[in-house]
Amino acid sequence: MKRRIGFFDFTGCEGCQLTVLNLEDTLLDLLDLVEIVEFREVMSGSGGELDIAFVEGSICRPDEVERLQAIRARSKTLVALGACADTAGVNALSHFRDLQQLQRDVYGDHPTPAGRPRPLSAVVQVDCRVPGCPIDGQEFLSVLKALLMGKPPELPAYAVCVECKLAELPCTFDQGIVCLGPVTRAGCGAICLLGGDRCRGCRGMIDNPRAQPYDRILVEHGLSEADILREFRTFNMSGEKGQ
Amino acid sequence: MTLAVAPPGTDPSGTTLWRPLSRNDIDLLVRSLSHAYEVVGARERRGRVVLDRIDDPAELLLEYSPKVHSPKKFLFPNWEKLFRFRLGGKVLLESERAAVPRVIFGMHPCDLHAVQILDDCLFEGEADSAYRAKREATILIGVDCVPDEHCFCTSMGTDRSAGGFDLFFHRVAEGYLLQVGSERGEALLRRHAPQVASRPGEPPMPWQAKQTGTGLRFPFESLAPLLGEAYDHPIWKAVGEKCLGCGACTLMCPSCYCFNVEDRMDIDLEGGARVRTWDSCQFDQFTRVSGGSEFRANQADRQRHRFFRKYKYLWEKHQRTACVGCGRCSRECLARIAPTEVLNNLFEERALPALKSPGAEYHPQLADIVAVEDLTANEKIFRLRLDGPLDFSPGAFMAVSVFGLGEAPFTIASAPGSGAEIEIVVRAAGNLTRALHRLRAGDTVGVRGPFGSGFPLQEFQGKDLLLVAGGMGLITLRSLLHAILARRADFGRVTLLYGAKDVADILFRQELLRWHREGLLDCRFALRAENNGWGVLRGDVTKLFKDLEIVPARSVAAISGPAAMYRFTNPLLLRLGFSEESIYLNLERHMKCGLGKCGKCRINDICVCECGPIFPYSRVRHLKEAIER
Repeated sequence: MKRRIGFFDFTGCEGCQLTVLNLEDTLLDLLDLVEIVEFREVMSGSGGELDIAFVEGSICRPDEVERLQAIRARSKTLVALGACADTAGVNALSHFRDLQQLQRDVYGDHPTPAGRPRPLSAVVQVDCRVPGCPIDGQEFLSVLKALLMGKPPELPAYAVCVECKLAELPCTFDQGIVCLGPVTRAGCGAICLLGGDRCRGCRGMIDNPRAQPYDRILVEHGLSEADILREFRTFNMSGEKGQ
Repeated sequence: MTLAVAPPGTDPSGTTLWRPLSRNDIDLLVRSLSHAYEVVGARERRGRVVLDRIDDPAELLLEYSPKVHSPKKFLFPNWEKLFRFRLGGKVLLESERAAVPRVIFGMHPCDLHAVQILDDCLFEGEADSAYRAKREATILIGVDCVPDEHCFCTSMGTDRSAGGFDLFFHRVAEGYLLQVGSERGEALLRRHAPQVASRPGEPPMPWQAKQTGTGLRFPFESLAPLLGEAYDHPIWKAVGEKCLGCGACTLMCPSCYCFNVEDRMDIDLEGGARVRTWDSCQFDQFTRVSGGSEFRANQADRQRHRFFRKYKYLWEKHQRTACVGCGRCSRECLARIAPTEVLNNLFEERALPALKSPGAEYHPQLADIVAVEDLTANEKIFRLRLDGPLDFSPGAFMAVSVFGLGEAPFTIASAPGSGAEIEIVVRAAGNLTRALHRLRAGDTVGVRGPFGSGFPLQEFQGKDLLLVAGGMGLITLRSLLHAILARRADFGRVTLLYGAKDVADILFRQELLRWHREGLLDCRFALRAENNGWGVLRGDVTKLFKDLEIVPARSVAAISGPAAMYRFTNPLLLRLGFSEESIYLNLERHMKCGLGKCGKCRINDICVCECGPIFPYSRVRHLKEAIER
């Protein structure tokens, strides 16, 4: 019998769900394996028990907390899909803004009891995660395949540098451009570096970032402590708060 | 002819297999090869040189910087299916199809050496079939390179390739010279470039010395014992604290091959592949075992492991260092961890504090024999490790003791500045030397010295050098030659005239031939034996004093041989126009005490161990005893 899966979104851009929809080559094969019973971007909801719930977005409002808890209650496995769900992602930047001003900017004259954006794990138990902003489609597939095979999905433990080297790309540091690749978890295929940018750390840090040598390298490249915090802030607020 | 040494790629009659060709010939060859093989080579991609498929021969770069990923990716790719499997009912295993026939067009010498290391490791025991399939289906074509500031191939002996390739292109002013390295290469040439194959050969080009930006300050053979003593050294902690654990060093390394194996399922979950991917000893999880414990969790230990594996473990296993000095690890290291820096630091630190004279007065210090090797049927070379580095000039000697049998002087055969290790050559002649011959690595001898004053190297700078050796006299000149070659650019033309009994008696044969081929010095041999195997000039060394391209006014001569030799060579040198001040003689005698006391080495009024054994002719010409018999 096909496993029932659902896709849900909270505070986020829905780019991760779009990445899933963009897996055009394999989407039909995927439908042979699973039954997608909920996916707001393409269908109306049906409810019921789920084998796997993929949840995108951060949790900001009390009603979001309730809805997430309800999804959790009817799902055997709950997966945080993308940076917003995994670490609160760029949403966490709002921690540096005045909350009331933020509420006025977002909701205008419709007062809404919105709090600071939080990752799913602050509210419910998360079984596994697909990091990134947005997620990597192939990584989504391998997480799904692992779950269907009944084994815990594994994310790369090594850094983006590895995939950057494998792609034979020049190191941005050689051009004096600071990059978060050395401490950011691989799995994206160094896509930003392939596109000519640098790594901004959207996939979160590896389990064991070598903070001291990395910090030394950033300082050597002229970054102050404030600059370094700003570098990490975009996607790694939780890391900063941990320091 | 004074030299009849057959360089590689030549047959005994002296016909060379080096054919001249133009870039246009190469383009035609590439085009022809493309019909039968996938041709990969260096080309530009997004502003960076990469080894990639060549579709248009014009794209192929033959001169390119060492800042390029290694050809390992073609022979041992990062992602490789070992086999496929189907699930559902009976499990079916499907072997992977054979490797694509491929030509790697443009491998630098270091990368050719790295393939030998991969061969050592992957063919050992049960041969790795995936590697072997690719290795067999891949033609290796070498090209020369210009080292950059990270290269240290000259320290590892990998800046040249004597073999391990099918074809090798040497750049010359008017095009290229093609050297064939295998029968497969010759057949390839006949099939794909018959017009080049039929051309008459040219003599091999003189090889230029390569200049590298960095290097080891000691011979690479000392690496394994050096590391053997450095397991608990604090340097690994310092390196570990710099390391980001990104694994760039091992991924870039042309000889690192550690891997991980995983099953990757198809999207239908009914089949999949067992896939091999590169792994790295620098990664978290590399040594993780079930239950989660990691038995090399510390980055310092991981870096130490990398160094030990490269320079000690695999050396001990295969007698080849697993590092080819390509410099990729340091070139790509964001934390700027450079092997030469680490190893030189270790070497120099161990070498400190400077110890100028081991052994006080007549009491020797103990020294370990690190290595013993046969040089000829009668001569062995011993590498001794002392407690500290020695300061000496070439020509100095050590007093070596075998307790119970006594002590004897031996000229130092290695170069100054090699730290705490020295080499001596011992001919089994008497009781003490025969006893020395029975010793093995790990045994202990006594040493005192260094004694005596050697060749004044400073005064040789900027001059052409004529070295004349007779028999064992070469040993002293070998130290001088090593010192010269360490700073080759500081000296002009170097010519060595060497007389010996027969081919088998020539000391340091391979080393001399290598230097000769590399154009570092001009070696000429004379042998006393009839019909010697090399067909070189028959007679003594004086026969070589012909056709010397030497301007005596800007040259110095260093002569080392039996006393009888000087009687003939001195007049020849003076007749050539050498001044009495520019001829240096080695007057080794039985220098017993080394301290100018015992009197055994006195020649007339001078004491050899105190003032010599190296003297300018002007200083000793009145000593009839020294130079007339």
